[in-house]
Amino acid sequence: MTDLRVSGVEKWLGGNHILRGASFEASRGSITALLGASGSGKTTLLRCIAGLEQPELGRIDIGGTCVLNGEEGLALPPEKRNIGLVFQSYALWPHRTVFDNVAYGLTLRGITGRDAELRVFGILQKLGLSHLAERYPDQLSGGQQQRVAICRALVYQPRVLLMDEPLSNLDAKLREDARYWIRQLILELGICAIMVTHDQSEALAMADHILLLENGVIVQSGTPMEIYSQPESFYAADFLGTNNVLLGKLAEGAAIGGDDWQLRGVRRGQVTGGLGESARAVVRTERIRIVDGPGDNHLEMQLDACLYLGSHWEYRLTRGGLAIKAHGDQPLPPGPVWCAIAPESVWIFG
Amino acid sequence: MSSTARLQPRAEMRGYRLAVIAALVLFVMTPVGLIIYQSFLDAPFFDKTSRFSLEAYDYVVTDPEFWSAFGTTAIFAFGMVAVAVPLGALLAFLLTRTDLAGRRWLEPIVLVPMFLSSIVLAFGYSVAVGPSGFVSLWLKETLGLRLWSIYSLGGMILIGGLSHVPNVYLYVSSAMRSLPSDLEEAARASGASIWRVSLDVTLPMVLPSLIFAAALNLLLGFETFGIPLVLGDPSGIVVLTTYIYKVNGIFGTPTYHVMAVVAVSLILVTLPLVYVQRLLLRNARRYAAVGGKGARAAPLRLGASGQLIAWGLIGLWLTVSVLMPIGGISVRAFVNAWGEGVRLSDHLTVSHFAQLMETPSLFRGILNTLALAVIGGAFAVAIYLMIGLAGHRNKGPSGALLDYMVLLPRALPGIIIGLAFFWVFLFVPFLTPLRPTLVSLFVAYLIVGLSYGLRIIQATLLQVAPELEEAARTSGASMARSWRDVVVPIIRPGLVGAWSLIMIVFLREYATGIYLMGVGTEVMGTLMVSLLTSGAMDQIAALAFLSIIFTAAGLGLALRLGARIHD
Repeated sequence: MTDLRVSGVEKWLGGNHILRGASFEASRGSITALLGASGSGKTTLLRCIAGLEQPELGRIDIGGTCVLNGEEGLALPPEKRNIGLVFQSYALWPHRTVFDNVAYGLTLRGITGRDAELRVFGILQKLGLSHLAERYPDQLSGGQQQRVAICRALVYQPRVLLMDEPLSNLDAKLREDARYWIRQLILELGICAIMVTHDQSEALAMADHILLLENGVIVQSGTPMEIYSQPESFYAADFLGTNNVLLGKLAEGAAIGGDDWQLRGVRRGQVTGGLGESARAVVRTERIRIVDGPGDNHLEMQLDACLYLGSHWEYRLTRGGLAIKAHGDQPLPPGPVWCAIAPESVWIFG
Repeated sequence: MSSTARLQPRAEMRGYRLAVIAALVLFVMTPVGLIIYQSFLDAPFFDKTSRFSLEAYDYVVTDPEFWSAFGTTAIFAFGMVAVAVPLGALLAFLLTRTDLAGRRWLEPIVLVPMFLSSIVLAFGYSVAVGPSGFVSLWLKETLGLRLWSIYSLGGMILIGGLSHVPNVYLYVSSAMRSLPSDLEEAARASGASIWRVSLDVTLPMVLPSLIFAAALNLLLGFETFGIPLVLGDPSGIVVLTTYIYKVNGIFGTPTYHVMAVVAVSLILVTLPLVYVQRLLLRNARRYAAVGGKGARAAPLRLGASGQLIAWGLIGLWLTVSVLMPIGGISVRAFVNAWGEGVRLSDHLTVSHFAQLMETPSLFRGILNTLALAVIGGAFAVAIYLMIGLAGHRNKGPSGALLDYMVLLPRALPGIIIGLAFFWVFLFVPFLTPLRPTLVSLFVAYLIVGLSYGLRIIQATLLQVAPELEEAARTSGASMARSWRDVVVPIIRPGLVGAWSLIMIVFLREYATGIYLMGVGTEVMGTLMVSLLTSGAMDQIAALAFLSIIFTAAGLGLALRLGARIHD
């Protein structure tokens, strides 16, 4: 069942066209990630769904109820949308205890006393917080605050859970754990969750569905694997993963080349350029192998330096004006080496 | 796309906001409108025979007394700025950017003159360094020195300037505090001495705040009433406010139209000044934002001789600005005779205070003052909060209108606000029964304290992070509910601080009540003004002393509650 339907949402802010017609659907038991660089409009889109910002055009339905309709001039305020929102800063009310923070949404819905207590402690227990119920937010660690914020947004069983960069205020170790347990929780409770993130690994690990935004437009949507391995545009290819961007000219047989090099690849995205026109190719660093000698789509390069990055080594390779990064699990002496890149890993845009 | 209708921004709490802002416009514009209306009539506006006329303008612009008062006011205001701004800036530099010994506890003391009403200060100077003041007599006896008279324009300017040093200090010191010290350290590292740094780096960076403080003090100079009344009046020096106060006496009959014209002329000067301040403030904020938050590093070191010179200067200023007036009043309130060759210790008495207790009007005045300050102050904060909420995150045109309405009373001296409300309460039929009650004073005080009170409230409201309100909304609370459950509880400490500051403002007020005073509406400040005419110095001294004590108590409370003092 579709719990959230967004169609044709457009928003201007002081002459800037922030959202240019975003449309998507999401259903319960799944996580949809809005992924994009800062300024891509992802947070604005989330705030439009929440009702904290008001788009000028478009339609939004939550749980079958229309909450925004530009044509009919309908825009429900946030409190009428039956949503839960987890803020980036968590936004716990400093003057209320953990219990009172979580219970507030129930109070507003007329659930008080024993009922409320059961539900609040139920969700607190689920997230391992029940011993902290009487604390104030400033007596909690960052990770605990985040869990309280999630409890507060979930306790009244909203139709849609919205999360704005929910992990960005956690330190690295907590973040890795949180990716997992938040995803588990949402699947278990069967919630329709939308999250905003600028961190690709967060989106890839947590989401069932990723919407990639650029300049207020959803440029690609799909499962994490589709987004990562079948980018439809240069932006999508370059935004995810760690990449090499090769600048060159289109050559015969879906190839790209420079003055003294040429690589066969696959053309992706909209084909615009003809032979000899300039183009860009994206190659994920993990797709480049250092091999012993020449072969099909092998390129001889100069190894300038080896950087130790803990789990692996990073090779800095050059050939004339071409510079490439590759990974390997051992240090190599500087000097000439051969790189092997499978043609299906050279994504040519142009 | 253009063919499709676009959604308008949701208008939340529209009814509440419009109602509050409409009430605000009514309360601010009625007195202003009434003054302007009255100025174009040839008789009091309640007089059935009054007609539209420019007679009063004609009278005023051809009256040499008016022009002389206008000129004196201008000289006084500019002179005051010339005294207050350099001193205030120096004081701010010493207290915020150097390692001056004792600077922590100096700050509240430095601010004292700002919290005392100028009538109390002026009276304090007249009993300390007036022709027969304690200090003057002592100097004459011991050193044979004769002070030059403080009952002169020069004396008024000096005293006005010294007592407005704190107003300059507040703005400049907050600008200096927000100045990242790495800017100064960079100059020092490049080889500049402390004094070069302060001239080449600190001064240009705080220049906007200096200009703002100058504009503010110019405005205060034009509106000043207590100092010219006490020090100027005896020697016939008249400024615009005292001209309004005296004009009835000249004609012998109520000359409302003439008073209104003078009030309009004063507003014509002060309104542009308020507008200039608003522009300056906006620019100053932009300027300060460039700096960002630099970590506070070690302050500039003064060295032993530097400390000595700085303390000498501050000690002298404190003696003249704080010790002299307060000391003068404290002595005067407890003696019944003094003069050459008289030992004060032989004439100690508490009879002046006994008189206050025995005279019903004076005793009522004390009670009324306390009631207005404590209870009225609390109500005022509640009302300012309602207004503040109406403007809170209100980016629409009604929010801008609110800002202007809040600013407008700054251009109105207390005496004019009091006069206008006197007219309103006298001649609006259903309000007339309220005139002899404290309600009339409270309403006038509310407008007098409006700009100051709203600035405190708005600053407090801004401290609530928007997400905290948004979190309430997305949890299911309406805007009103989010104010009640989130905003107001969070700012409660700030509201208590605001209450203590408004209390001080209401305590020291003296000019607003002049026309509203009657049996039952006496307040201490206004009683002092009226006692001046009858020369009852004993009672004035006792009232002034009590006023100082009350203000000190209020200030102590404010500091204890952690109120942030700014204008």
